[in-house]
Amino acid sequence: MTTRIDILRSAAFAALLVFSLLVVGAQPAFASQGADADDLMRKANNIMVTGDLKGAVKVFLQIPAPGLEGDEGQFASSRMQAARLEFAVKDYPAALAVVGELLAVYPENIEALQFKSSVKEAMMPQWKRLMNDTIKFVPHLLKGSIMTLLLVVFTIIVSPIGGLFIALGRISNFKTLNRLCWFIIWLFRGTPLLLQLFFIYYGLPAVGITLKPITAAFIGLGLNYSAYLAEIIRSGILSIDHGQMEAAEAMGMSYWQAMRRVIIPQTYRVILPPVGNEFIALIKDTALVSTIAMVELMRTADQLFNASFNITVLGLAAVIYLLFTTVFTLAFERLEARVGIYEQR
Amino acid sequence: MNALLELKDIVKTFGSHRAVDNVSLTLNPGEKTVIIGPSGSGKSTLLRAINFLETIDSGTIFFEGNEVGYRQVKGEQVLDKPKSICQLRAQIGMVFQHFNLFPHMTVVENAMEGPVTVLGTPKSKARDIAMSMLEKVGMSSFADRFPASLSGGQKQRVAIARALSMQPKVMLFDEPTSALDPELVGEVFAAIKQLADEGMTMIIVTHNMGFAREVADQVVFMEDGSLLAQGSPGEFFGEHCRDPRIQSFIDRIF
Repeated sequence: MTTRIDILRSAAFAALLVFSLLVVGAQPAFASQGADADDLMRKANNIMVTGDLKGAVKVFLQIPAPGLEGDEGQFASSRMQAARLEFAVKDYPAALAVVGELLAVYPENIEALQFKSSVKEAMMPQWKRLMNDTIKFVPHLLKGSIMTLLLVVFTIIVSPIGGLFIALGRISNFKTLNRLCWFIIWLFRGTPLLLQLFFIYYGLPAVGITLKPITAAFIGLGLNYSAYLAEIIRSGILSIDHGQMEAAEAMGMSYWQAMRRVIIPQTYRVILPPVGNEFIALIKDTALVSTIAMVELMRTADQLFNASFNITVLGLAAVIYLLFTTVFTLAFERLEARVGIYEQR
Repeated sequence: MNALLELKDIVKTFGSHRAVDNVSLTLNPGEKTVIIGPSGSGKSTLLRAINFLETIDSGTIFFEGNEVGYRQVKGEQVLDKPKSICQLRAQIGMVFQHFNLFPHMTVVENAMEGPVTVLGTPKSKARDIAMSMLEKVGMSSFADRFPASLSGGQKQRVAIARALSMQPKVMLFDEPTSALDPELVGEVFAAIKQLADEGMTMIIVTHNMGFAREVADQVVFMEDGSLLAQGSPGEFFGEHCRDPRIQSFIDRIF
């Protein structure tokens, strides 16, 4: 939260500096707007650029309110500048007082009203501000999470099946199938997922295949994760002692029966940890589909952040991602304990 | 009497090495054959060729009088279709040196697996068969244990029950006690002996001469892939063993 205030403050300060230099430089243009006020403005700006902010405020406040001998524009801009300087030095009550002075004369001044509300927000206790933000953002983020979860669940169902087939292709004696599966793994493991998503969503229309973002996301994640899981599953199968296949075949099982009943069930224990690892990576990788017009958790967070410039949004998105990955980590730990049970004496 | 199994001029090479060199062997129903010989003499390879775990280069295998396992394609001898190989294997039980029990299944599930998956036997019936075979090898009280919790001898007895539950016509034992601690050898041989006494046809590859003498109807001696001598245990282990090579091997073993 302090970061956000800091950003606002330094932005305000920089803007002021630029503005005041402009004012100083463009002096003659303002010369007709009341000599006293102009002098005071110039003087205040000169003090401000020396870094004496409080001193500058004092001078700004000497500019009189309109109606007597003052000038409307100069009065409003002097009070806004003074208020911003007070804000910059974190003297929020003083900033409120200054802006209050302006609002007393011009109750409808939008700039002043907005500034007042942001000062009030800055004055709120941290926890209250955090709570407000949370209440404001979390429903949107959760809505985005539904799509993230959908992508994760889809990929978790599809990629082990795809991965199993690719893995079996890679260990088969059919040369063509073997090479095809090798190629799929080579292609999808060797290029960035982001590029694959771009290619599927933006590239395929060039050859007449136009996909909805969600279809493109399903295809991209499904293929990419199938390729990764294929290698994990293949290594799992290769890790099983050859004697197991021989024993199964010796009793009359076909290759596929032996695979299904004897070999593959034994791989679960071996492949579960790396598969869990992949699925946790998947949860985070779904964020990449935000680049192909999918509105999921990351995209939602990005949009909210751009609209509000409030870093809390990103923090909340991080918390939701962590929540997902934690649930997965714990679930996989339990699963691991269960599938390995036969090795315990 | 028709031979149950007949091997004729079996040749198996690994690269330039002739692991099995022109071996012929006949097995009558109920007959117990023990194959002995030094390591690397090709006895395991021969045994594995019988249920097609090794594909032979040439030679013929007759099972119940029929030529089985291979067909000629463009003058080359190739392994028959998987389906018919599976059908043959289902009738031939095999016990391995390293047991090769399925670690993810309980003892009884191991013994049920063949009947259920290969023969399509209903589970309840397969369980009955499995339990009776486990009973036979004295392992029925371990039915619900996983293999990891068993001793080597117990594992091998379960492996025997697993092979028996397919109700095979012949049993192949590939050095069934070589991986066992000496004190566990007895229980496995007792199980095999009992099976032999019940009239099971079997081929046993072993280094244990005492067992060979006790159980064998015919003893086969192999060296460097060749079948050097074949005879009754009396001829082999008696006073007047003719072949000096066999004599020296037996002397080394004892």
